[in-house]
This record gives sequence, structure tokens and C-alpha cells, in this order.
Amino acid sequence: MDIHSVNQRYAKLRERIERREVIILDGAIGSEMLRRGLTWESHKVESEPAAIRSIHADYIRAGADVISTNTFQLARRSYLNHFADRDHMRHIGANGLEKRAPALIREGVARAREARDQARRPQVCIAGAMTTLDWCFRPDQAPSPRDMRAEYRETIGAFKKAGVDLMLFETFNSSREARVALEAAREAGVPAWVGFVCDWKGRLLNGETMTRVRKGLRGVEPDVLLFNCAPVPDVTLALGELAKVYGHPAGAYAHVGRFDPPDWMFTDEYPPEKYLAAASEWVARGAQVVGGCCGTTPMHIEALKQGLPKNLLA
Amino acid sequence: MSYEAVRDKLERGDSVLLDGGVGSEILRRGVYWRCHGIEQHPEVVRQVHLDYLAAGADVIRTNTFQLNRRAYLNLFHGLEHMRHIGPPELEHKAGKLVRQAVELAVKARRLAGREGDGVAIAGVISPLEHSFRPDLCPPPKACHAEHAEIVEQMKSAGVDFVLLESMNCLSEARAACEAARASGLPAWVSFTVRENGRLLSNEPLEKAVQAVKRLGAEVVLVNCAPPADITKAVALLRRHGAGHVGAFAHIGRYDPPSWKFGFYPRFSGTEAYPPERFLKAARQWKKLGARVIGGCCGTTPDHIRALREGL
Repeated sequence: MDIHSVNQRYAKLRERIERREVIILDGAIGSEMLRRGLTWESHKVESEPAAIRSIHADYIRAGADVISTNTFQLARRSYLNHFADRDHMRHIGANGLEKRAPALIREGVARAREARDQARRPQVCIAGAMTTLDWCFRPDQAPSPRDMRAEYRETIGAFKKAGVDLMLFETFNSSREARVALEAAREAGVPAWVGFVCDWKGRLLNGETMTRVRKGLRGVEPDVLLFNCAPVPDVTLALGELAKVYGHPAGAYAHVGRFDPPDWMFTDEYPPEKYLAAASEWVARGAQVVGGCCGTTPMHIEALKQGLPKNLLA
Repeated sequence: MSYEAVRDKLERGDSVLLDGGVGSEILRRGVYWRCHGIEQHPEVVRQVHLDYLAAGADVIRTNTFQLNRRAYLNLFHGLEHMRHIGPPELEHKAGKLVRQAVELAVKARRLAGREGDGVAIAGVISPLEHSFRPDLCPPPKACHAEHAEIVEQMKSAGVDFVLLESMNCLSEARAACEAARASGLPAWVSFTVRENGRLLSNEPLEKAVQAVKRLGAEVVLVNCAPPADITKAVALLRRHGAGHVGAFAHIGRYDPPSWKFGFYPRFSGTEAYPPERFLKAARQWKKLGARVIGGCCGTTPDHIRALREGL
């Protein structure tokens, strides 16, 4: 697949966004692995290729226009963080740790592409899922802008080479880090969406108001700004706040259940029909891209596909 | 009483045998690493302790490395966020697991019928943050308060003494040692060293030895580094007048997961250090003056048996 046809695929998706069509994003990957009896400590993209492929395939079958890769948290820092420094990692760490993140990114993207090929749905876009360089819920741990820039360039380069159609920067916690990521994506010529974690007061997790977010992203606005990895009511609230100040396309994918590290606790608070009712409210608040975060399943995505309006209301 | 027996041995100049890797051994037995295996597979945790006792360990260490409230809190934006999106009671989980882990060691000793013959239970306390990251060390006041809390949990659950393990910098070692001594429990302090013999914080081992000796540490040890580094560090400990000295190296290479969920004791390539080879390294530690000897991550009951028979 050459880069030209990749761009065409995304260009068609962008046209649909411009026509105000509602776009369906996939649901959870990591928690879906747990639900299917896999653990997630090595992403399993290499060791359980069939299982990962079938999760992607189920989301495509459910009606997702965009599927995201099982690559959350893969960056060189993910391994380096376990050691005192690079020398220490080389001295006592397993062989190949420095190259493991790009290798798993390559494998993760390959699984999504295989699922798309097997489903014969060439128009489905593949989003390279990448979160903040340090822990997604800890804005205080974000590296300096200089370090961030170099690492985003490197990681986005790995996704681009592996053949993603766009980057999905998800579970971001500040407009500052989003800005660095968006600039790096633009430099690399890769389209990008950003998903922010919101709190329960209509702000980002780091306390930024939506007005601050709008200012922080000025000039580098993502094609779609989403909220993710927060409970349903928080996402609804954040979308309402965003709509007051932001004029570009928005979207949302909430989590369902509870974060029980290192696992996900599934709850029955939001079965597919109830999740659909919430998502309909998001569309009413201007969300144009809708999917599911941790705890959601292909059944949730199918419900969205069947039940959401095809277009944003005028 | 159990600790008295260990202390007597040390006073007589005898060797004391520690156990080997606990977390890495639980993982090696196929347990999915969640809550240190304590909630879902307590029988495996207990069996690991039993196997180390059968191999001849004089001291068994609790399965509590990196078990503290921070380990969970760190994964959230703060306590409010944890309560908002985490499961109920997560903020109390670490303390509960510490108590259960100590009880498993106590039970193993009882099952082995070794209560009366001097086997001691060491409550393992690690740095509050990731043990290889001295840069994340909390301020001394917070260190002191949080270590004091863990020491109390361990004391009430029945440990004989505390082993401050894998300490990576002076300030936390000091705070933890003070907290341990304030509880009245004997304390041993073990440092993780770099290839150059310094702490991971790059502070000299000599200063660390002086600091914890002054605070009443009864044994100063080095751990969680490859055998060759441990050999060099033992020589340094002796040179700096550490008194009773101990050593327990790891084997294999630390192989962390791609998901950043904290401590995950996977060591790969441990076959490069079979028990006989580990015994050779341990003989050197003994020759250099170490009297407390055992294994860190990656070592197994077979390694400890080899030490029991060969040292």
C-alpha cells in the first residue's frame, strides 16, 4: 500500500466529516483482550496474532469506520521508565528492550491491516493509537517539551512506516502535550485526532478549561477533538462545555466499568442500549465521531452503528 | 524469639541463609501477576515459602516488594480520581495485601513445623516508588510517614524483623530505617548497587553504610544487581566497616512488560545462572566476609538448596 492510497482513504473519511456525517470509531481493545481471557502485559500483538486480529475484525463487522491499533502506551519511555537510566537498562535489562516499542508498534499495525484485508473493507481507516509519553493520568509526569518533541517524532515515524492512515492521540491530559504531538504529526504528514481525558467538572484531567484548550491548540487543531477514558456522564458534560467555545469537529468515546489495575473491572451499568442513549446525547451536543473506550465491546459499537443518526443535526 | 536465633548465629560468626526470589518465582509458576498473586493464588505464594524452607532457608522474606498505597495511587490523577474511576476500596488494598502476605509466610512456617527452630520472617519493604528510580524518591517526611505505616502493618501481622530491600538512595534508606527502628523491630538494610559500586542514585556506598549503621541497622546488604556487581559491592561493604554484611544477587535480565503497571518481577535468561554457578559466586561473597547470603529475583529454591549444601 503506497502512501498515496493511504491518503486517499483518509481523504474520503475527511470528506464525510465535512459533510457532517456521523463516524463510528471502534471500542476497547485492551479490556476486550481481558474479557476474552488474554492478559495485556505484552500487548499480545506478536504472541497472539489471531486473537488481536479477531478483535479488530469484530469491530469492523460491527460497523466501525475507523479501527485503532493495539499499541496504547508503546513508546521507548515505556521500557526506559523501569530503569534508573539507559546505562542501567543496558546493563541489567533484557536484550532488545530499546527496540521493543517500535517492533510492537509495527506488529500492532500489521494486525489491524490484516483484519481490514480479511474483512475486505478497504475503506476502513486505521488509527495508530498512542497515549502520552508518560502515564496518561499523570500530567505532572510529562517530560519537557524538547524531550517530548524528539520522542513524538520517533514514535509517529514508526506508526507512519507501519502504514496507519491517521494518528489517534488518546487519553491525553493537557493541551501542552497535545500541541507537541500534533505538531510532530503535521511535520510527518500524518493526519491526527486527539482524545482528552476529562474530569467530572467539564475540564481536562489537569484542570484546563475548554477555553484554555482552545487557546492551547490554536493553529494546530486536530481534525477531530474527542473525549475519552472517562465515565459516560463526565464525557457528556465535557462535550457540552467544549461546544460553547470550540467550532471544529468533536467526538467522544467513554469508558464503561472501573479501572482496577492491572485489569479492568467490567460492570453492567452501561449495556449497549444504554450506551447508545448516552451516545445519542453526545451527537446532539455536536459529537461527530463516536466509539467506545475501556470496557466497551463490539456489541456496543454495533448498537451505535444501528442506532445513531447518520448525520449531525443542523 | 525467631529473630534472636538469627542474631545469635550472626554473633557467633555463623552464616544465615536467606531465601531466593519470591515474586519472580510466583510468576515462573504461571501465576498471572495481579495483586502479587496473593488474592487469587495464595496457595502458590505459600508453597514458594514452603519450598524455600525445605531448601534450607533460615530467613523467609514476605511477598510484599513494592506493595504500598502509592503503587496504586500513582496510576491515577489523585485520590479523588481513584475513587471516581477505580473500584471500591482500592485505596485500602495495599495495606490489606501486606497483611495477607505476612500471614502467608507465617502460615508456611507453621505448616513446615519450623516455628520453634529459629526460622525468621523478614518483612520486605522496598522503596515507595519504583525501586530502580531514585529520581522519584518522595521527600523525607513523606517517606518516613509512609514507611512507618507499612512497618506497623507488618509488625501487627507478625514479622520478626524488617528487611529494607533494594534501597536506591540515602534519604529514603534513612527515613525507612528510622521508621523501622521506631517500631522496635530489628532492621536490615539492603542497597541496590550499580556496576561502579555506587547506589543507583550515584551516592557512594560508604555514606549509605555509615548512615544506616548509625541508625541501628543490624545487617547491611546489597541486592538486585548481577552477581559480579554484588561481589564487588560486598568487598566495598567490608572495607567501609559495615559490620554484619549480606548479599543476594539477581540472575537473568529484567524484562519489564509493555504496560506500565508498576512492579512486575519478570527476569528472562535466568538459565545462564544455574544453581552451581550461583553457588560459586556466593562462595566469593562468603570469602569476602558476607554472612547473610541468598538470592534475589530470578533465583529459585534449587539455588537456595545449592547454597545450603555448598556454602
